[in-house]
Amino acid sequence: MIEYILIVLAPVFGGVLYGFERVVRARMQNRQGPPVLQPFYDMYKLIDKNSSIVHPMHIVLAILHFITLWAVVALMILGYNFLYVIFLHLLATIFIILAGFSVRSVYSHVGSNRELLAMLAYEPIFILIATGFYMINGSYDISLIRQEDTQILSMILLFAAFLLTVPLKLKKSPFDACEAHQEIVGGVEIEYSGIYFEFLYMAKWIEYVFVYMILLLFAGNNILLGVFLAIAVFLIVNLVDNSTSRVNIVQTIKIIMGIGLTLSCLNILGLSYV
Amino acid sequence: MFDLKKYRKKSPWILHYNAGSCNGCDIEILAALSPKYDLERFGVINTGNPKQSDIFLVTGPVTYRSRERLVELYTQMPSPKVVVAVGSCTCTGGVFREMYNVEDGIDRYIPVDVYIPGCAVTPELIIDGVVQALDILENKTKELEDAKKLYKKPTEKEGVLNLRDSALKVGEDEED
Ligand code: SF4
Repeated sequence: MIEYILIVLAPVFGGVLYGFERVVRARMQNRQGPPVLQPFYDMYKLIDKNSSIVHPMHIVLAILHFITLWAVVALMILGYNFLYVIFLHLLATIFIILAGFSVRSVYSHVGSNRELLAMLAYEPIFILIATGFYMINGSYDISLIRQEDTQILSMILLFAAFLLTVPLKLKKSPFDACEAHQEIVGGVEIEYSGIYFEFLYMAKWIEYVFVYMILLLFAGNNILLGVFLAIAVFLIVNLVDNSTSRVNIVQTIKIIMGIGLTLSCLNILGLSYV
Repeated sequence: MFDLKKYRKKSPWILHYNAGSCNGCDIEILAALSPKYDLERFGVINTGNPKQSDIFLVTGPVTYRSRERLVELYTQMPSPKVVVAVGSCTCTGGVFREMYNVEDGIDRYIPVDVYIPGCAVTPELIIDGVVQALDILENKTKELEDAKKLYKKPTEKEGVLNLRDSALKVGEDEED
């Protein structure tokens, strides 16, 4: 029962997290920042606005993106197969990339291209993380991974690689070239307006929940460690976001692929010899 | 059912367009968004995307080259929306008034809700103006207010299309 309540509330958690993050970021810059519930105010406002549609499929793809992401989080909460979850998440990303390519705006195309490149960079790492969990626990099942003791020490390199992908997934500096506000005006989301933009906005919140849920898997059944990891990563990501500037997409791929993939491969090699 | 209208005020997203200003006012707008003046505490995001914005901040006296874009950006913004003219030259032409290449203020083309005077405006005035615009935004209807039609048919001369003078002058009617 509690799982189903969590699933329904997942976007709300994401929204609060997103709002909280904006406050934290503001406090780091020594200013007041918006209220914590700001994302929800944005949501109500977007519902109230007029909206224009480029073509129906464009809208359908955004809604599919949102629903698939929600399903991803739902499956993670219910404790399904981790590998399936990653592939379903891939599908959600594909939807938004298709949406970006389906309109004629050049910025939208650039955004889609970058999104595609980013996906190429982080997807192998996610799959290797799943492999790592399989080698340790003998199963891809999330419910099983959650019951085992934490193995973060033997997966420390994979964990480091995962940390590298967090800013990329959450569209944070230095790896926010996919969205790059003002530069390509949000990329894939440029042609959405009003209530349809709402779906992409909420999808962003769910992305937060997804990333932090993967993070919690590293903690296994140790809840205290999980909470500590989540808070630490939250602060580190925001600190890095505040203090670095954007690198371009090619450099992003080089860093993520070069460092992240190497680290995770090393870890997998190490695990296979133990 | 609660009133959605009151949330308009709490999350104004800004589109900033430079219609040929000297950049003095643009710098002040950026200052107002920066940590010192912290416009973000009202929920403001500088989106840079007309389709997702509520407040249109315009600087500059509207040059012949920028007026088509000005009207285009204005019509791309979904209603309800408000227009804020930032700086003397945006309100009246200011130091550029009656020059051969400017149009003396944006209200000849799009309906303006708040005028902020000053050359250059101070960030405090910009914040005051934006906050005043929020009150107006709350009471706006969702109908599109008219912008002036700008396009003439492009003239063709020896097979070459001339798009350069396709904008109408103020008061000029479209010939056939
Ligand atoms: S009002 Fe003055 S400072 Fe501002 S853009 Fe115009 S000329 Fe520049």
